[in-house]
Parts: sequence; C-alpha cells; structure tokens
Amino acid sequence: MASRAPVATGRLLIGFRKWYYNLAGFNKLGLMRDDTLYEDSDVAEALRRIPENQYNDRVFRMKRALDLSMKQQILPKEQWTKFEEDVQYLSPYLKEVIQERKEKEEWMKN
Amino acid sequence: MKGIRGISQLSRHFHVAARTRQSLAHPLAGLKLSPGAAHSLKDIHVTRLPSGLVIASLENYSPASKIGVFVKAGCRYETPENQGVTHILRLASSLTTKGASSFKICRGVEAVGGSLSVTSSRENMVYTVDCLRDDFDTVMEYLINVTTAPEFRAWEVSDLTPRVKRDKAQAAHSAQIGVIEALHEAAYKNALTNSLYCPNHMVGNITSGHLHQFVQNNFTSARMALVGLGVDHEVLTQVGEQFLNIRSGAGTTGAAAQYRGGEVRMPGLGSLVHSAVVSESAVVGSDEALTFSVLQHILGAGLHVKRGSCTSSKLVQGVTKATADPFDVSAFNANYSDSGLFGVYTISQPAATGDVIKAALAEVKAVADGNVTAADLTRAKAQLKSQVLMSLETSEGLLDAMGSQALAEGSYSSTDEVSTNIDNVSLTDVANAAKKFVTGKKTMASSGNLKNTPFVDEV
Repeated sequence: MASRAPVATGRLLIGFRKWYYNLAGFNKLGLMRDDTLYEDSDVAEALRRIPENQYNDRVFRMKRALDLSMKQQILPKEQWTKFEEDVQYLSPYLKEVIQERKEKEEWMKN
Repeated sequence: MKGIRGISQLSRHFHVAARTRQSLAHPLAGLKLSPGAAHSLKDIHVTRLPSGLVIASLENYSPASKIGVFVKAGCRYETPENQGVTHILRLASSLTTKGASSFKICRGVEAVGGSLSVTSSRENMVYTVDCLRDDFDTVMEYLINVTTAPEFRAWEVSDLTPRVKRDKAQAAHSAQIGVIEALHEAAYKNALTNSLYCPNHMVGNITSGHLHQFVQNNFTSARMALVGLGVDHEVLTQVGEQFLNIRSGAGTTGAAAQYRGGEVRMPGLGSLVHSAVVSESAVVGSDEALTFSVLQHILGAGLHVKRGSCTSSKLVQGVTKATADPFDVSAFNANYSDSGLFGVYTISQPAATGDVIKAALAEVKAVADGNVTAADLTRAKAQLKSQVLMSLETSEGLLDAMGSQALAEGSYSSTDEVSTNIDNVSLTDVANAAKKFVTGKKTMASSGNLKNTPFVDEV
C-alpha cells in the first residue's frame, strides 16, 4: 500500500499540499488549520490543556477572523498565514486526549 | 500377610515417635542450611546499597504483601517559596507518570485488588502499596513510576486544587489538628514550623515546576528506603538497585530546626477549649527520647480502659481536684530528627481552663521534684512497652516502624533491644526530663473560647 500511494508527507506532495492549503482559503482570514477544527469534546479537552499564550493567540486569531467575516473582507496578501508558518499547535495535545479516551474505552470493554 | 501388616504398622510407629520427640518449629539439629535458607527465617533484613538506598524486608509468609517507599521529604523540607508543596505531592500520587497514565494507574492497581496510598509527616513521605503476594511485579511497576517518574502535567496539578481545599476544610473540623499545627508554627522558626497542610496563600499557586523541583531536590537515593512485608529480600534488593537509583546524591540538606518558643491563640466559638503547653525535648532515637516516653506514660497518655476513670494517670488525678466539669488531659510527646516537643494537652470547659492547665502543670512539677514511686515507674514502663509492641501487631504499624528506622538509622532495633532500653530508664532520668520541661522555654497553642485561658507567660 505504502509503495503504491505516495505518503502525504513526501517531498513529491509538498506542492500539492501547498496548493490545497491556499485553495482552502482560511489563511486569508489569518487563521491556522487547528483554529478551524470542529470543537467536539476531545478538542475542548485539548484546548483546556494548551499553554495560556497559545490559547490567547488562538482567541485573537478567531476574533480577527470573525470581524473580517462580518465586514466581508479578507486580510491583505502579506498578512495571510503562510503554509510554512502554519503550526499545528493543538495536534500533540489532541493526539494525547484521543489516546487517553481510547485507553479508557479499552478498559471499559473487558 | 502378617509380615505386610507388620510393615505398615512399623511406619505408623516411626511417625508417632517423630512427632513426639522433635518440635517442628525449630530447624533440625546438625542440618546444614543452604545460603538461600537464611532469608526464609522470620528476621527483618536490612541492607544498605552503595547509592545510600536502604532496603528492609520481613518475610512473614503472609498472603498479602505490603511495600513502602519512605523518602525524607516531609513538610520540614519545604522552603518559603514552595510552602504547601508536600500537600499537593500527597494528592499527586495518582497523576500521570512516564510509564502509565493516571487512569491506568488507578485501574491497574484496582484490577489486581491492590491499593496505593501516600501519607506524609513532618519528616517523611511514605508511598505504600498493598497487594496479593503474586501481584508484586504489577504493583511495583506502578509504585516505581509514581515515586521516580511523575510528570506533574500542569492541568492535572491545577485539577488538584479543589482536593486541597477539601482537605483543609476537613482538617478545620478537628480542633486537635488545628492546635497541633499551630503549636509547631509557634515553637519553631523554620523547618518544623511548616504545616502539613498547604497555607491559604499558596492554594492554587503551587505549580508543576514547584513539584518537579521538590522531587528533584529531595527524592534522592540516599534519602529513600524501600521496605517490604511478605516479600523476598533478594527480589526487593534487585528492584531497589535497578529502579530506585535514578537520582544519586544527598539532595538539599534541610535546615536544622530552631526552637523559639511562642504562642498562638485561636479564638473560636467551640464549647471546649483545646490547649497545649510544651517545651523542647529530645531527638528521636536517643535515650532521652525514651525517658520522655516513659515520663509521658507516668503522667498519663490516654485511656487504657474504655470509658474508664484513668486512675493511673497523674495528670487526670491532679486535674480532677481542680474542676468538676468534664475535661481531658494527657501528656504530649513528639520526637523529630533534630528536636522534640514534650508537654501537656488539655481539653476543658472555657471557664475552667486556667485551673485545668495550672493543675496539669503542677503535676509535671511534682514529678520534677521527685514525687514518683518505683511502682509508678514500673507501671509506666510496662505501658510503654505494651504500646510499642502492640503498634507492631498491625502490618501498617510494622511497616511504619521498619521504614522510619531504616530511614533514620539504616538499621532496625529489635523489640528486645527496645525493651531493654526502656528498662534502663531510672527515676532520676525521669525527674530530670520533667525538670527540663519545667525550666524550658514554653510554647503554647490554644483554641476555643479563650476568656479564661492563660497566656504562655502566665502558666
């Protein structure tokens, strides 16, 4: 399987991923990918755990994006979030939360 | 036929002979024991590893094992910057570690029917696991994780704050805890002045960093003892060598406790006044400490017969003459590694407190002046011996005794040694100990309706 379909993080697919990122368009509102995640219980728990400065930055970005959306505007091109700058700040915590939940479910099974 | 029947009767005869002649409680005479067999005799074995870790164990062939990790990390080692860190640490035993998540520790220990608990005193912190003998490996894995590799995740630590508040609220219900914490606060300038409970200004302000730093500085091999009941000494030594050798060195040395002698008064609405008047006494393990213990029993250290009239207690008899109202009085005795406190603890009605305290102190003065008979001394020694021996009857008491001694001295004194030392206390020793109390600088702590409670300079 892995030999036939190229791994998404491979050097070959960087161009495609960059194009798709820019097509998605949330970077024009100054958001990062992790800001756009649907806030289910796992994401909410992960948000409870991130350091305070990262949480405050997230709140700022979302507030700015909501403001722009209300005014039907987007940021000037220099301020768009670049693909290289997009940090998946929530992912490690989210992975941990999901792993803990799965561990609990494993124990509940038996 | 007859011959065969004769043979079976022969074996029966030998059986009976063996049973009546040889006791099965002692090894056969002239039998060479293999090296491993030495450890199977009911002895308390103590080994000190090169890293400073002390291993103590007793193979009592019990179906349940009890293992404790004793660390010299009590609240006396807290600094002004991290006051209350030991309270949080006490509650943090079930938090995520490098090897197991918080959920796994809880469920894992429960799954084998074991239990993991933490107690801490002013001197030591004790992590104890109970389990069935066969589940030793499973629970030891959790115990080692908790004591050597905790992660203290920031959100888990902040989730402990409600539990800290609940602990403090429960402690506030007990007047005795309040008085004893206040007594130590008033008696010392540092180290032993720290309370077992987190002070109000630090609730919610102890961070993961504080916990990590405290563990780094105090949970070192030289300050730990691994104690087991119902475990094999070799196995325990192996565990100690492999897993508890992570942090070497002596860690930060605690400050020597400086006695100052002060007073704390806690006015309240309670119908009873609790009051303790103490003076500095002896260091734990010294002969003087034993003398103070004997003095404690001469004066009266609690009821020996439930709902009885305590006729053997000098304090109770003295105070009965001073007041007709309900009261309670007993001698207070505490010993630490570099200091101790000895005195009287009274519980009385608000109006009678002054008389009660004065009568109690007069009784101690009487002992200092030599009003102790040999019969009193014998009785007190017997009471002390039985208290010591009975405390070793439970597995908790035995583990605690083994662990405290292993940590403080690196060895275990048998009950025979302790009995002999108690017997060696003389009448003059006791009188001198009482004189030390009478002439020493007093510390006092009182709580309740203090209208008639004397100040420390008035007793």
